[in-house]
Amino acid sequence: MAQSGGDVSRHRKAHLETVESLCLGLLDDDKSRAMFGYLQEWPDLGSMCYPNASLGEPPLAPEASNGSGSSGGGGFRKRRPDACLVTKGESNSVCKRPRGKQQPCNPDQMAAAVGKGKTERARAGAKKKAELALPKDSPATSASTVTAGQKTDYIHVRARRGQATDSHSLAERVRRERISERMKYLQELVPGCNKVTGKAGMLDEIINYVQSLQKQVEFLSMKIAASNPVVNFDIIEDLFGRQLSQAACNPAALAAMAMPIGQVEPSCLQMSPLPAGSPGFGLEMVVNNNPYSPAPGGAMSVPAGASVESCLDVHGAAGWDIGSQSLFTGFDAPFQPVQSDCLLDNLKMEM
Amino acid sequence: MSSRRSSRGAISDEEINELISKLQSLLPNSRRRGSSQASTTKLLKETCNYIKSLHREVDDLSDRLSDLMSTMDHNSPGAEIVRSILRS
Repeated sequence: MAQSGGDVSRHRKAHLETVESLCLGLLDDDKSRAMFGYLQEWPDLGSMCYPNASLGEPPLAPEASNGSGSSGGGGFRKRRPDACLVTKGESNSVCKRPRGKQQPCNPDQMAAAVGKGKTERARAGAKKKAELALPKDSPATSASTVTAGQKTDYIHVRARRGQATDSHSLAERVRRERISERMKYLQELVPGCNKVTGKAGMLDEIINYVQSLQKQVEFLSMKIAASNPVVNFDIIEDLFGRQLSQAACNPAALAAMAMPIGQVEPSCLQMSPLPAGSPGFGLEMVVNNNPYSPAPGGAMSVPAGASVESCLDVHGAAGWDIGSQSLFTGFDAPFQPVQSDCLLDNLKMEM
Repeated sequence: MSSRRSSRGAISDEEINELISKLQSLLPNSRRRGSSQASTTKLLKETCNYIKSLHREVDDLSDRLSDLMSTMDHNSPGAEIVRSILRS
């Protein structure tokens, strides 16, 4: 899992970077347009992102965009405001404001996103009426393309028409757009987010979804543990990570856990809310020495540490439409403030 | 997701910050020491990663469970427990 996790995280990072870069191409603050364009504008976004890939004229900067597209991988580059101003002044004759963000994009990522950006760009270009003369920008583009391969933290931003051009506003705009892009990406990840608009609503949905996923993992882990009538400590240690070795240094606790696994499992479902100071239960997936607190350590402990409290929050998640709704609603009955059986009391005391 | 909403007052910044910190608390790696204020972009990125990893974990566990269910003896106490869990 760790290895795959590493792979995935790398892939995710790359993917996100691309997403980010692509999204950054959408300079408009128009949410709907950005969102729509988001879906449409991906690959070309990279090419058009280039400073001046004048919107609406994507093919104009073929080599630059391609070059930048292929260079990929880099971060963003921040152009100095005066550069923006200079460019702006130059292009004033042609258009009002330079617009475009320059992003190195991963070529493979671009492939995934291809096709989506073009429409948006065209629309954006039409709306913007800011067309930077290509030739002027090509050198800049190619220069940036060359450096695109190197990983930098700069973000190239162009001031848009009617917007302040001081560095703070630009930085702020960049930051906002990044956040917006990430939010959109999350929106795709989280089902049902499309109907909700607005940061708060989406954040709420995301939080609910994460919680329900945690519970789902916990539930599945429980089932797997339950289906092994003989306590296989290897499995349990896998499930609980190091928590078990920490928590269950007490052999008596281990023995207690070992015995009536059959009994313990169902009673786990009936765990009453743990007092804040009580240690984890071991088998009950919450092998946590610490009370459930905002940051249970370790990835595995998260589902494990999706603690009793979150278990009890199942009521809220019962409405979550992830297909396992029945499973969660099924939890409602068991999750009542039932007295833990004596075994669990023993566990508590021993830990 | 621009600042238009806050200017309209529909969603207050305070609420959003609250939601963000709540989300941060859900993430497994949120540092506890002083609960440093993570940049929102990083937080959102972490959330993306986390959701994906949860997805993978759920898939992985489901596969394991289905394997277990298919191979285990139907009369074993373990199977009975699982069935009861599924039934409830």
